[in-house]
Amino acid sequence: MARTKHSYVIVIGCGRLGSFLANTLSKTGHSVVVIDINPNAFSALAAEAFSGFTVEGDATELAVLKQAKMDKADVVIGATHDENVNIMAAQIARSRFRVHKVLVRIEDPNKESYCKAVGIDYICPTALTAEKMMTALNDIR
Amino acid sequence: MKGNKVLIVDDEKNIRMTISQALADMDVETHSAVNGEEALAMLKDADFGLVLLDLRMPGMDGMEVLARLREDRPDIRVIIITAHGTIDCAVDAMKLGAVDFIQKPFTPDEIRHLVSKVIARETLEAEKNADYDSCLELAKRCVAERHFKAAAEHARKAIARDASRPEAFNFLGALCDVQEEKLEAQKHYRAALSLDPTYKPAQFNLSRSIGTKPDTGHGILFGEKGE
Repeated sequence: MARTKHSYVIVIGCGRLGSFLANTLSKTGHSVVVIDINPNAFSALAAEAFSGFTVEGDATELAVLKQAKMDKADVVIGATHDENVNIMAAQIARSRFRVHKVLVRIEDPNKESYCKAVGIDYICPTALTAEKMMTALNDIR
Repeated sequence: MKGNKVLIVDDEKNIRMTISQALADMDVETHSAVNGEEALAMLKDADFGLVLLDLRMPGMDGMEVLARLREDRPDIRVIIITAHGTIDCAVDAMKLGAVDFIQKPFTPDEIRHLVSKVIARETLEAEKNADYDSCLELAKRCVAERHFKAAAEHARKAIARDASRPEAFNFLGALCDVQEEKLEAQKHYRAALSLDPTYKPAQFNLSRSIGTKPDTGHGILFGEKGE
């Protein structure tokens, strides 16, 4: 993100993670579009920080991704609670729209290998938490 | 266009901020208005050259602002901001000389490119040896001045320069559409498509004209280079 001053970023999902990322990215000068199926979710976007756009719709539908102008996106982030939605949207972003940087949240560590195979960058909070816990347990021993 | 003073008229703070940020690096001075009433008041007092106008606003909407602007200040250029899936009034906007549209969401590059193009268009001169693209830009400027016949003339000149490109045919079709000459419009769209069956603006305009496709935020597409 540091190399491009004003990236066009699409954030899928406007929950705690998605809205936090959208607010932060928008505040730092990036052009942000947030997609969520539930329009009430957009209330989590901070009025003083967020200067991007919102698109209401299902991010697994091509028409919604086109509406968000995914073809122009520099970065796509899958941040919904449903990792299948994140992965599917990310795959469309990679294969159909040739988005340079695609990053998703996945909960199931078993899906890491799949993400690796299709070239999607991922963060797995479950694996990260487990790792930290194991480290903490080792300290106790 | 008198100066490089730009007025952004949108009830959404997000959009006003996005556009101001996008234009910050350009040689333009941006001001914002949150509704139609404020916009008209500001336009009376200051010498703006360009207005970016949202069509959908509470109270006085963008169409009314545009209509009043055309009566009082026909010299001011207007870029219409549309939302996805809304359009009926975009055709009316074009009748009032608004030929440049941008659909939300847009990237900073898109807005900068369009603003530069509209500003650059003002300095174009109708030279005898103007190239295809210049002829088309001149045609668009004539639409902004509501000189539809002159616009058609420039589009035909573009065709005389290069009869193998679809843009000018599509443009002529759009002009006919605006003047409610539907059959003539369809003829031009088909001519554009016979030259390039993949040319999306003509595909879209023809589908909309014959009623097979619902309107979207584009209204009539005048077509851009590379579309």
